[in-house]
Amino acid sequence: MNDLKKLTLGLGSAAALFTSSLVAQDTVKVGVLHSLSGTMAISETSLRDILLFTFDEINEAGGVLGKKIEPVVVDGASDWPTFAEKAEQLLAQDKVSATFGCWTSVSRKFVLPVYEKYNGLLFYPVQYEGEELSPNIFYTAEAVGQQAIPAVDFLLEEGYTKFYLIGTDYVYPQTTNLVLFEYLKSKGIPEENIGGGLRKENGEVISAGKYTPFSHTDYQQIVADIKSFAAGGDACVLNTVNGDSNVSFFKEIAASGLTAEDCPIVSYSLSEDEFRSLPTADLVGHLGCWTYFMSLDTPANKEFVANFQKWLETKAPSSVQKEGRVTCSPMVLSYNGVYLWKAAVERAGTFETSAVIKELEKGISFDGPGGTVTTQENHHLTKNVYIGEILEDGQFEILESFDNVYGEPFLKGTF
Amino acid sequence: MKKALLLFSFVWTVLAGAVETVEIRTLLEDLALERIDDQEATLQELADSGDEYVTAFVDAWRVGEIREYQQAGTELFLVQEVSGKYIRVSTGETIDISSEVYESLDKNRAPRKLRRLLTRVTDTIGLASKNVNTRVEAALKLGASQRAEYLPELQRRFENEKNAKAKRAFEEAIMISLLANAETSEELIGAVIRLGELHSIRAKDKILAIVASAGESGDEALQVAAQKASDMISDHEELLKHAGSFFRGLSTGSVLLMVSFGLAITFGLMGIINMAHGEFIAIGGYTCYVVQGYFSNWFGESSPAFQWFFWVSLPVSFAVAGGIGFVLEKGFFRFLYKRPLESLLATWGLSMVMRQAFRLKFGAANVQVANPDLLLGNFEYAGISMSYARLFAIAFAGFVCVLTWLLLTKTNLGLYIRAVMQNRNMASSLGIPVKRVNSMTFAFGCGLAAMAGAVLTQIGNVGPTMGQAYIVDSFMVVVVGGVGNLLGAGISAMGIGVFDQFLQPLFGPVMGKIIVLGMIILFLQWKPGGIFPTKSRSMDD
Amino acid sequence: MKLFDNKIEFGGYLSACVVLLLILPAMNAFFPEGSSMHFSSFQLSLWGKYITYAVMAMSLNLLWGYTGLLCLCQSLFFALGAYAFGMYLMLHVGVDSVYNTALPDFMDFQGYTALPWYWAPFENGAFAIAATLLVPGVLAFVFGFLAFRSRIKGVYFSILTQALTYAASLFFFKNNLDLFGNNFILFGGNNGLTDFKEIFGYDVNAASTQRWIFVMSAILMLVVYLVISWLLRTKFGKVQQAIRDSENRVRFSGYSTTTYKMLIFVGTSMVAGIAGAFYVPQVGGINANEMSPAKSLDVVVWVALGGRGTKFGPIIGAIVVNIIKSFTTRMYPDYWLIILGAIFMLVVLFMPNGLVGLPKQLAPVWARIRGNSSTSAIAAS
Repeated sequence: MNDLKKLTLGLGSAAALFTSSLVAQDTVKVGVLHSLSGTMAISETSLRDILLFTFDEINEAGGVLGKKIEPVVVDGASDWPTFAEKAEQLLAQDKVSATFGCWTSVSRKFVLPVYEKYNGLLFYPVQYEGEELSPNIFYTAEAVGQQAIPAVDFLLEEGYTKFYLIGTDYVYPQTTNLVLFEYLKSKGIPEENIGGGLRKENGEVISAGKYTPFSHTDYQQIVADIKSFAAGGDACVLNTVNGDSNVSFFKEIAASGLTAEDCPIVSYSLSEDEFRSLPTADLVGHLGCWTYFMSLDTPANKEFVANFQKWLETKAPSSVQKEGRVTCSPMVLSYNGVYLWKAAVERAGTFETSAVIKELEKGISFDGPGGTVTTQENHHLTKNVYIGEILEDGQFEILESFDNVYGEPFLKGTF
Repeated sequence: MKKALLLFSFVWTVLAGAVETVEIRTLLEDLALERIDDQEATLQELADSGDEYVTAFVDAWRVGEIREYQQAGTELFLVQEVSGKYIRVSTGETIDISSEVYESLDKNRAPRKLRRLLTRVTDTIGLASKNVNTRVEAALKLGASQRAEYLPELQRRFENEKNAKAKRAFEEAIMISLLANAETSEELIGAVIRLGELHSIRAKDKILAIVASAGESGDEALQVAAQKASDMISDHEELLKHAGSFFRGLSTGSVLLMVSFGLAITFGLMGIINMAHGEFIAIGGYTCYVVQGYFSNWFGESSPAFQWFFWVSLPVSFAVAGGIGFVLEKGFFRFLYKRPLESLLATWGLSMVMRQAFRLKFGAANVQVANPDLLLGNFEYAGISMSYARLFAIAFAGFVCVLTWLLLTKTNLGLYIRAVMQNRNMASSLGIPVKRVNSMTFAFGCGLAAMAGAVLTQIGNVGPTMGQAYIVDSFMVVVVGGVGNLLGAGISAMGIGVFDQFLQPLFGPVMGKIIVLGMIILFLQWKPGGIFPTKSRSMDD
Repeated sequence: MKLFDNKIEFGGYLSACVVLLLILPAMNAFFPEGSSMHFSSFQLSLWGKYITYAVMAMSLNLLWGYTGLLCLCQSLFFALGAYAFGMYLMLHVGVDSVYNTALPDFMDFQGYTALPWYWAPFENGAFAIAATLLVPGVLAFVFGFLAFRSRIKGVYFSILTQALTYAASLFFFKNNLDLFGNNFILFGGNNGLTDFKEIFGYDVNAASTQRWIFVMSAILMLVVYLVISWLLRTKFGKVQQAIRDSENRVRFSGYSTTTYKMLIFVGTSMVAGIAGAFYVPQVGGINANEMSPAKSLDVVVWVALGGRGTKFGPIIGAIVVNIIKSFTTRMYPDYWLIILGAIFMLVVLFMPNGLVGLPKQLAPVWARIRGNSSTSAIAAS
């Protein structure tokens, strides 16, 4: 038994040594830290795919500082301690120059101390609640002011006066809805016209909206509630429900006979990628708000989409799904992140993290598929915001765009 | 929208020759191609026409089924597909183009604002619809808009309406509209009182606003009346909520029943702690998706034959999962009958393998399964509504129960199954083919799980982890019912579903569920063997 | 009293002591990074994590392997201990850079200005440590009292404990609790407790602190091993194993099996809780995911794979499975679930006694091979 134990001890450390000793001279390692299994794989696998595409694209064009990018893909397995472990593995063993990864806020919260401890660099590509600013993370994601608020502006302009807030019970929806609540009130919407329920502590509203747990599938009660809320007309729903719960939610909405003309739903977590698994004919006319849409009619975007499709056909590894693929905002923000990192490295002339971060903070622009994005000193991006209407083929028709919106993570209490 | 298309083709054949329709058609084409000057007047004209083609056109327009066509040298016009033929919108003539050409045409899209305006038009038209439900919906929508200009029309319809349900809806609509448009205070008070009597939930917010404003302006009579009306509505709402919770509970319970019935057999009867049960459910979902793909290839998505994919996929998923279950039992589980606890480890491993296999085969993202037309929409009775998909789930759960019961009690195989499950060795020595019975039973359990998965495609999502969502619940249902007792599983599923839905409005979805789990724990204190404990003389059972 | 079965076990124990308490920490502390003898801090905290898992597996083994109670709430006790200690760590992160208050960030963001009463005592380290034992202990006591009194056993017990775990994880996933109009902030919801800074005045992320935590986790494991070895040799341990084999006979012999089961259930819950407390500072956070039913099944799988009802089995199982997982999620991110799942299935089919039972299982085969070769050797000469 003793031998067995020693053997396993040896095995573990041998494996560790083996992987860390494989650093070749002409490549630079970057980490890809997403969930490829578990509940979050639904969304995160697409980001892994786009990152592999981006690396291939850059490598074909000569790499970064003459070095080819060597991706180190690890599986966070939708398990947060695993995320922390993998982050540390990437930084301590593989010594990656930068990491692109995470989707949920909780995964980011778990890896944040690791990146600060090892002075690493993480690019985070998914819309989030703000209220955070780590010196070692770049948030290419949409901040609340770049997504939720423009959408509400648009609805107010269209003459909607009643807003129903619904979300999954975690920090992003809670914070976003709280910010939206403050914003709506500042725009003169009375409290009784904000649906979903309010929770107060000492007379102050601390939580607004209706919340369901992750992977909730039973939306019968809530849709009944929305229907009676919308019966008076001029009502809309602001939806921060995350992930696969949306399927059940929209199936229930469609069955209840509510259409987008009666009560449009703005979904903040539904992009083209999620529409692959939704009955989009039922979603026609509902709204989305992102900093990129696949339907953007610009040469840059058309080229990007075409290149991605070509990559899927020719170069993608076998584990990447090939049929019916689309591009969406989190994917493009991942893509932008890689190019911003490349630009910063080239300006700094080194892969050394502190120097790269310094360059990023000075402001670097990249003409991405969604328009120009510029890094800010506060580690967020200035970018264009688009509001789109869902079409029956799972694409968005762009209704309005806001150019160069500043990314501000701290919005709570500012209205 | 497919229903609308059918409706359209009907209307079209009836009215094709009518002069008025051609005028309206031209008007619509002009509206869509922005060839008109006065949008307001056009909309009014459309509304006044009462022509149901407008509704059909708008429904097709919003989902991109109106295309722009331009032959060389002619004017641009609109084309619509109606049951395989291509029709020019303005004249109703058939256009001779191939489907490839049609698919390549640009879609004409309704601007958002116009679409909202058009809903008013279609609602007005809906007032005269032959379909009672359309009339009801239209009347209530117009009433809720509280625009004075609709009042005379609503009034006229109310007086001529024969159908009691529609008449009531017209009255409710008029009263809601009067809340904002009453000319005298008597009229207003009358409307408030009548709405209270009609239990109009739609009017509740507005009546509450009147309570507040009347309080401020000191109009006591109005305030008292409005308060009384809102109380009446609240009471009714409360009642509806309970009745609604009950039906929703049945629906939640039937989902639980479906997902746990397979487990009641593999775990309850055979004693295999089948952690891969959820993945067999997922097999059903994916089978449905694959069958849908074949049907779409063979028939095309708009053909009526495509609608059959769902009904075909039910037996197919049973067969596929049953086959997989059969093979697994032969090659794997039969070694584990003497070591039930280790079946947990093995099936957990199997579950991991299957989850990742789904992911590699079908992609990590969820896949989409359409609803057949029959299961679209919802059924409404006395203010309680439920989607047809959920009603079907309830019916299907009942069907599965009966099927299983018949199998176990009325067939030879059932007799064998019960004998083998009670005492494997004894059954064997009496000449029952134990090995075959084992395989068949396991295959049957897996097949049931997969059928549940196929039905779930109509309610929830289909993805690699879809089964994980149900596994804990399934075990709970089986244990509460009494391991090895199918009737118990049925009762416990329904009980848990109804409790869950009653607690949800009180405590919210999460606390509701936690309380249900707490109640299950306490229930098993009281009845440690479940609702129907297995009776046994053996001491160590 | 003799604690070890034989000399091999004693030798193994001693060498584990030497490796875990001396060699690995020394390799980490005294050899510079880059040296082939260096054992990185990352590896050290990773092994620290495995060790806490192993302790949890040992506690489950005592219940399942030696008392016959398949408990699916071991991860709940583990997570409760982790939360109790995590709350202490959370209250010592100092002033938040965003909100400029000393409250945990999730309280700030939900508009709380003061620490709720049920959080306040956790500022005290001694209280938090006591809580890592007492919270799981009390829960186990209450639950065990209810369950064992009504003689719930077998698979009913398993499913009930799973229900308990599931309910608790749902509860911990919530941000707030609304109870009869009162609003309670809970334990960080889905984001859980992360980004710790200080532990008893030391920087929690410093290499030396991590090293000490590792050494203490190793001591915990070694002590728990000794306690279990001792327990199994006492009369208590014998009764316990008798309960596993035939509870009714034990009861008819005049023993109160309920009391025995209660004691062992409460005891193992406390061991799991303290393991959780060691887990938190090494992983850097805790969230409700750690008490999900799937995690409890993981522990069962470790024990079964290593060898149920053996002293070494759970340790081997926990460490081997996690090494494979760590390795494959890096090397084969797309296929690791299939690899691990297939291993589980194969182990069940071909190694009924787990990894630990393998040498015994192979002994006859080995003997035959040796026998054959010796006979052929004789024949040749």
